[in-house]
Amino acid sequence: MLSKKTKQVLLGPLSKNNPVIVQILGICSALAVTAKLEPAFVMAISVTAVLAFANVIISLLRNTIPNSIRIIVQLVVVAALVIIVDQVLKAYAYDVSKQLSVFVGLIITNCILMGRLEAFALGNGPWESFLDGVGNGIGYGIILVIVAFFRELLGSGTLFGYQVIPQAFYDWGYENNGLMILPPMALITVACIIWVHRSRNKDLQEK
Amino acid sequence: MNKQSNGYTIIYASVMVVVVAAVLAFASLSLKPQQTKNVEIDKMKQILSSVNISSDATNAQDLYKKYIVDSYIIDKQGDKIEGNAFDVDVAAQVKLDPDKRELPVFVCRLDDGAEKYIFPMYGAGLWGPIWGYVSVDTDGDTIYGAFFAHQGETPGLGAEIEKPMFSDQYQGKHFFVDGDFKSVAVEKKGQKPVNGAEYVDAISGGTITSKGVQSMMQNSIAPYQNFLKSLKK
Amino acid sequence: MENLNLFIRSIFIDNMIFAYFLGMCSYLAVSKNVKTAIGLGLAVTFVLVITLPVDYLLENYILKPGALQWLGDEYKTVDLSFLSLIMFIAVIASMTQLVEMIVEKYAPSLYASLGIFLPLIAVNCAILGGSLFMQQRAFPSVGAATIYGLGSGIGWLLAIMGIAAIREKLAYSNVPAPLKGIGITFIATGLMGIAFMSFLGIKL
Repeated sequence: MLSKKTKQVLLGPLSKNNPVIVQILGICSALAVTAKLEPAFVMAISVTAVLAFANVIISLLRNTIPNSIRIIVQLVVVAALVIIVDQVLKAYAYDVSKQLSVFVGLIITNCILMGRLEAFALGNGPWESFLDGVGNGIGYGIILVIVAFFRELLGSGTLFGYQVIPQAFYDWGYENNGLMILPPMALITVACIIWVHRSRNKDLQEK
Repeated sequence: MNKQSNGYTIIYASVMVVVVAAVLAFASLSLKPQQTKNVEIDKMKQILSSVNISSDATNAQDLYKKYIVDSYIIDKQGDKIEGNAFDVDVAAQVKLDPDKRELPVFVCRLDDGAEKYIFPMYGAGLWGPIWGYVSVDTDGDTIYGAFFAHQGETPGLGAEIEKPMFSDQYQGKHFFVDGDFKSVAVEKKGQKPVNGAEYVDAISGGTITSKGVQSMMQNSIAPYQNFLKSLKK
Repeated sequence: MENLNLFIRSIFIDNMIFAYFLGMCSYLAVSKNVKTAIGLGLAVTFVLVITLPVDYLLENYILKPGALQWLGDEYKTVDLSFLSLIMFIAVIASMTQLVEMIVEKYAPSLYASLGIFLPLIAVNCAILGGSLFMQQRAFPSVGAATIYGLGSGIGWLLAIMGIAAIREKLAYSNVPAPLKGIGITFIATGLMGIAFMSFLGIKL
C-alpha cells in the first residue's frame, strides 16, 4: 500500500523536512497554545485534520480550479474546514475550545496550510496529498507537543493537568519556573529544539 | 470549456460559494443544540464553583439539581419579580441603571443543610469581559466562596484571576463594614483601601485586571444591598 | 484617554509578535535587512488599519447574534457568527489585493523586494488575529477598533524593524553552527519579548 515514494511523503516531514523547524512555517498560531499540553495536543489534531482534508479537496479539484482565483479557492476551502473544526470542538470539547479561543480560527492563516496546498496538493493525486497532509500535520504536532511538554512540566509542574513533580520537592523549596508560562520562553524552547536537531543533522545548518 | 475564461471563473466561484454556505449552515445548525447545552453546563459549573463544589461536564447537571434548591429574580428593593434567573443575561443587565436591573439570586443548600446565596457578576478586565459568581452566608455579609473567569486576559498575569489561589482569598471576607456596604477591594501587597473596606491581594503584573475585579464586584453586588440587609435581620 | 490607553497597550504590552507570535512566518523570512522589513511593516499596518473597521462593521451589523435587527424585528434571532471567519478572510484578501496594486504602481522597487510576501499578507496571522481579537474583546466603537488596528500594526512594525537591525549585526557574529540563521533569530526574538514585558508596568 505504501510505496517508497509515499513513505517518503508521509515520514519526511517528521524530521528531515519538518514544517516548523526546517521549513519555518506555521509558527504563528502554534506557540501561543503551548503553555499546556492539552490544548497543544488538540491543536495538533485539529491542524492535522484540516491539513489532510484540505489537501485532498484541493487535489481533487486541482484540474478544475481557474488560475486567477486559485488562492481564494484555497482560502475558502481551508476556512470552511476550520469553521467545521471550530463548531465540532465547541460541541464536543467545550473546555479545550475555550482555551484555544481565537487560535482555532488562526489555523486558516497557518502558513503550513497554504504552503502544502500550493507546493504539493496542486500537483499530486488525492492519496499522496492525504499522506502529505497527515505527515506534515504530525510533524507540526510533534514540535508543539515537545514545547508544551517542557513548558507545562517546568512552568506548572504538571502534565495534562496532573501534578507530576512530587509535593516533597516543593516542601524542600523547589519552585515552578513562572517564566516558562510566559510567551517568550516558547520561542527559546523552539530555538533549543532547532539547536539539538541541527547538531544531529549537519546538512541542515545554514551557511 | 475554456478554464481561464471569465465566464468559467465566475460560475466556478458562485458554485463554490453556494456549496460552502450550504455545508457550513448545515454543520452549524446540526451542532447548535449540543453547543447550547455545553454553554449551559458550563454556567452550572461556574455557579457550583462559587460554593466550592467542583464538577465536570458529566455531573454538573445532576449536582446543580441537587444543590441549587431555588432561584429567582429580585429588583433593587429586594422584591421578587417574574422571570427565570438562569436565563438572565447579566452582561446586558449591568449596563442598565441599577434601579431597572433584574438581579438573579441562586439559593444553594449544602450537604450539612447550610444555605448560601449566589450572585452573578460581570465587568471589564484589561482586554475584555470578566465575570464570576460570589456566594454569601445567610447573614448576608460573610463571603462563602467566589469564582472568576475571563475571556482574553494575558496568560500568567491577568488570567490568574481564575485560579483558586486568587479567588480563595475572598472566603470569609465581609461586604459590610460597620453596617455600610463597602464591597471587597483588591489591593497591591502592603497597601490598604482608603474607605476601610476589607481587601484581598492583587495579582502582580495584573493590576488592571485586578482593579477590574474590584469594580466588577462593586457594580454587580451593590444593587443587592437591600436584599443582603434583609437577610441580615 | 481610553483610546490612548488602548493604543499604547496594543503597541507595547499585547504586541502581536512578542505576546501572541502572530505573523511569525513573514517576520522571520523578511527580516534580513531593515529597509525591506520597514516596507513590509508599513504594508501590514496599512492593511490592519483598513480591515479592522470594515470587519468591525461586518461583525456588529451582520454577523453577531441579533446584529441584523436593523432589518426588522423578524431578523432579531438570526445568528450568522459561524460565517465570521470566512467573511473576515475575504475582506483581508481583497484589501491585500488593493495594497498590492497600490504598491506596484507607486513603489515598484519596494514591490520587487517584497516579492512573494506581499500577496502573503493575506495569510499573515497578525491581520486575521487582529480581527479575531477585535471580535473577542468586543470594542465599544469603530474608532476603538481602528486605533487597535493602528497600534497592533505599529507594534508589529517595531518588532520586525528591531529584529532586522539585530540580524544585520548578527551576520558578523560568531554563532554556534547549528544555531546560525533561524535558531539565533528565535532566541533574539524571545529575549526581545522578555524585554518588552517590562512595559507591563505602564500605568495609564
